[in-house]
Amino acid sequence: MTTTQETRWIGVSAPRREDAPLIRGRGRYIADIEPAGTVHMAILRSPYAHARINGIDTAAAEALDGVHCVLTAADLEGIGDFPTIWRLPGQKESNTPALAPGKARYVGEPVAAVVADSRYMAEDALDLLDVDYEILDHVVDVEAALADGAPVINEDLGDNTIIEYTFPGINALGVAGDIEGAFEEADEIVSGRFKVGRYSGVALETRGLVADWDDLRQTLTLHSGSQVASLLRTELAAALGIPETSVRILTPNIGGAFGNQWDRYPEDILVSLASMKLGRPVKWIEDRREALQATVHGREQLQEWQLAASSDGTVLGLKGRVLSDQGAHLHSVGIGPAWVTGAAAVNQYKIANYHCDVVGVATNKTPNSTFRGFGGPEAMFGIERMMDKTARRLGIDPAELRRRNMIQADEFPYFSPGGAVYDSGNYPAALAKALEAVEYDKVREEQQSLRDQGVYRGIGIASYIHVSGFGPSAILGILDYYTGGYEGSTVKIDPHGRATLYTGMIPMGQGTETTLAQVAADHLEIDIANVRVVWGDTDQTPYTGFGSAGSRSNVAAVAVIKAIEQIKAKAVRIGAGLLEADPDDVAYADGRISVKGAEEMRSLTLADVAQQAYWAHKIPEGDQPTLEATYVYDPANFTTACGTHVAVVDVDIDTGKIDWVKYVVVDDAGTIINPLLVEGQIHGALSNGLGGAMLEEFVYDEETGQLLSSTLMDYLVPSFTDLPDFEIHHLVTPSPHTEGGFKGMGEAGCFPAAPALANAVADALSHLGVEVDQTPVTPSRLWSLIDQAGG
Amino acid sequence: MKPAAFDYSAPESIAEALDLLAEHGSGAKVLAGGQSLVPMLNFRLARPAHLIDVNGVDSLSYISANGTLRIGSMTRLTALGESGDVAGAHPIIPKAVAHIGHRAIRNRGTIGGSLAHNDPAAELPAVLMALDAEVTARSADGERVVGMQDLIEDRLFETTLGDTELLTEIRIPAAAASSTSGFQEFARRHGDFALAGVAAVITTDGSTITQAALGAFGGTHATRLPTAEAALLGAETGDAAFAAAGAGAAADFPATSDVHGTAEYRSHLINVLTVRALKEAAGNSGGGNG
Ligand SMILES: Cc1cc2nc3c(=O)[nH]c(=O)nc-3n(C[C@H](O)[C@H](O)[C@H](O)COP(=O)(O)OP(=O)(O)OC[C@H]3O[C@@H](n4cnc5c(N)ncnc54)[C@H](O)[C@@H]3O)c2cc1C
Repeated sequence: MTTTQETRWIGVSAPRREDAPLIRGRGRYIADIEPAGTVHMAILRSPYAHARINGIDTAAAEALDGVHCVLTAADLEGIGDFPTIWRLPGQKESNTPALAPGKARYVGEPVAAVVADSRYMAEDALDLLDVDYEILDHVVDVEAALADGAPVINEDLGDNTIIEYTFPGINALGVAGDIEGAFEEADEIVSGRFKVGRYSGVALETRGLVADWDDLRQTLTLHSGSQVASLLRTELAAALGIPETSVRILTPNIGGAFGNQWDRYPEDILVSLASMKLGRPVKWIEDRREALQATVHGREQLQEWQLAASSDGTVLGLKGRVLSDQGAHLHSVGIGPAWVTGAAAVNQYKIANYHCDVVGVATNKTPNSTFRGFGGPEAMFGIERMMDKTARRLGIDPAELRRRNMIQADEFPYFSPGGAVYDSGNYPAALAKALEAVEYDKVREEQQSLRDQGVYRGIGIASYIHVSGFGPSAILGILDYYTGGYEGSTVKIDPHGRATLYTGMIPMGQGTETTLAQVAADHLEIDIANVRVVWGDTDQTPYTGFGSAGSRSNVAAVAVIKAIEQIKAKAVRIGAGLLEADPDDVAYADGRISVKGAEEMRSLTLADVAQQAYWAHKIPEGDQPTLEATYVYDPANFTTACGTHVAVVDVDIDTGKIDWVKYVVVDDAGTIINPLLVEGQIHGALSNGLGGAMLEEFVYDEETGQLLSSTLMDYLVPSFTDLPDFEIHHLVTPSPHTEGGFKGMGEAGCFPAAPALANAVADALSHLGVEVDQTPVTPSRLWSLIDQAGG
Repeated sequence: MKPAAFDYSAPESIAEALDLLAEHGSGAKVLAGGQSLVPMLNFRLARPAHLIDVNGVDSLSYISANGTLRIGSMTRLTALGESGDVAGAHPIIPKAVAHIGHRAIRNRGTIGGSLAHNDPAAELPAVLMALDAEVTARSADGERVVGMQDLIEDRLFETTLGDTELLTEIRIPAAAASSTSGFQEFARRHGDFALAGVAAVITTDGSTITQAALGAFGGTHATRLPTAEAALLGAETGDAAFAAAGAGAAADFPATSDVHGTAEYRSHLINVLTVRALKEAAGNSGGGNG
């Protein structure tokens, strides 16, 4: 009989089963896929921020040896584009076209595509395309884009305002708070204006696609790194005007996705269309310059907040206006991330009166869309900077100010005026644990003595919530989010009692294959080696409404658990027949089906029962042969992960350089499936968050509209030498609203990173009154703040 | 990001390389470590009709220390940084080399490539200026010796080398017995091209500075810092002279703005780094610019 140790897998640091092939060079990425007869696509991208396209002369390119076809917007007649999934009421729709129709609206926008024998030849042909551009005035700044007389990005929409959405701050009773009253009553009103920088996932593996149209079978196979293959399949079929049954999406290994791969892209249409035209496989691998120009960007917002406080530190009200720089087109999720910013900005605090206007603004920049954190980190930057500013204004310790305003552990479920229902958490406990770990009182004392020696040490606290596990589909409907929030799972037990699990989730670095295998093994109470996970093939795997994200395993895991419950119940029914016992007297435990109280004598292995299920000689009435089940789980609520980070830094006031002293993380993501992977995800997300806090930024030139950060010498991704040692602690508050108690955790690490860093730097320079209100906090920016403050 | 088509030759001797250069002239490019040229080819910023790959010319790869330090142009940056002869003669060189990119880049990149490419933020042109180095440039017509100043001449991403010339050797005169050096640069991440940097070599007779040579990089071009040098000459080593040199350096430095920082910031940085480099030099008492 197996021991309990080998059958309990939740909470175990199982090594990632993905790793061996990846580490030993047997990963298979898009670049490795090249069916016989493959030809290669290269894409001509607009060199201008805003230019009318009066014509494209393709003759010379078409005449070049080795060129198979040239696509321009004129070839897209009858071809659709991808809809925005999140269509908030009043949001003016401007879908991203596959090729710029008549006008290019950002540097890097696809203008034409060439397919040739090799990528080299295709790029030679790009040089021969003669585009008649008429350069237009551009605008790359949100405030300038809203000003009178600004160049209009999408004339059809009238102006550059895509939407103005208001969060009225509805409380649990269904009425809006009294925001004006709160500000009248306040002892102090604190204001902040924050620029959250534009950055993105910048995965190690750039995007890539191989489309393979079989004209005889009328099937299109698309090899893609999409995080949400089901949705891509549905939308691609619609755009191309072919039946969805003709389309199969295969997902190989992915070298990083970070939300960017959640979106549908022009290139998905272009390679497919070219393959259908040519009747042969067409491959496109994004190069790094394209990746920086044309894979969606994220974050960029200009936020203005006002906070009303009483002198004892009670936050009475919070009022904000968030301008979201959406870039030239609405991409797959519309202004979704900015909406989440508005929904999450009250964070862990009991703020009775809340009002926030979110404005989506079009600019001549790359579309701003899905990126790890999805508006949450932006919200945390605003509120956590505001808490520190308020603390300083009131002369209250920033930890104490937070503590005084936090939602208490016994106040869940908590109806936030941002609109979310927080399921559970223990915010004060997480803060206390973080302060203890960082030795807060001691660091504060040291800070004083170090300052006398000319060492400027700062301590920055940032608490966060991460609303994850999107979401009950009905709620998505209310939010005008046109997809479901469910995950499906099929589990099949083979005749030898081993399990194969089919999921719509895609392992993209977060370890989904391992965690889902753990959940399945744990609930079947079998060795994890006996669980295989199948993913990445829309012909085999269940439809996923929402697709893979760093914080979706919690939903997918429940689908697995529910499918396994059905399997176990059926195994018990079949087993009871074989054991000649009443099903009520038979139970499933330790991977065996046994008569209760007689486990040693009257017991069958899962394999015994599975074999019988396939022979089907004695299937109970009402049951079907074989042993498999499918469950599609639609979550009952969102889950809210939370925690507190504390950053300790030294600032060199001569150079603006920031040196790490310490970084403490306390996170609470409910039940932990795999501590090792959780740690890895926190490291990754935190690096991603600190990258945007200090280094990573897409900079546009106001004068020319050019993207200046278009190589990895200009766009700086952090490496381990740029990051602190992460000291990680956990709290576990299981979600009461999901089976298993899991919450999403793959993104949370990036939520408080930037405000923790900014608060620490501002704290280090508090003697100068320096406020750090823009990310990334580059040495140049920081030095000029110090310089202006007379330091 | 694929290069345009080009022809390719791989000569095995200097003479063969020079003949190819004479034949193809301005249509040709020398390929050394390829760490700068290959990206430029991929971006199609360079479109040579002919690539002359001198990686097979073994006679361009050597370090000989005998009074004047002579270094073959194809000497890899790793070899340069690890050479005991180089460290013994001019310890500032390995210090600077450690800041050039990352190990993999230094394993391929060459000293000649670094000088010929003349990135304004590269360490070696400025360091070699401060060390009063010369280079030899050879063509089928003969050889000339060019001082670093004359090689760089306020240029960026190009030098005064002719189309048919191959940079073959770098010559660095022996350091004065009592000289010391300091090297400081500031980059946003280790291994990145610097926002600003200074190589300082000073000689004192006990406490008075008798020689000062400062090379700066990270501006629009590599340059000596004459005002800073003048502020040091004849002064007593110490905070006052160093501060004056820092201010002079800021005045001399051809600062420029980009995504990483403003010109104002860079001018300030060069001041700070100059002071730090001089303090470092003053603290290094080894002599022989140690
Ligand atoms: C990620 C990265 C980071 C880097 N960081 C730094 C840094 O911090 N500091 C720094 O200084 N450099 C840095 N570099 C550049 C690196 O040092 C280059 O290797 C160097 O500048 C060029 O040397 P190379 O041998 O690779 O030359 P190549 O790339 O082969 O050639 C460069 C140019 O020099 C010409 N050339 C080369 N050799 C000769 C010769 N003997 N005679 C005539 N012409 C010649 C070529 O024709 C070409 O125009 C970095 C490079 C990379 C990729």
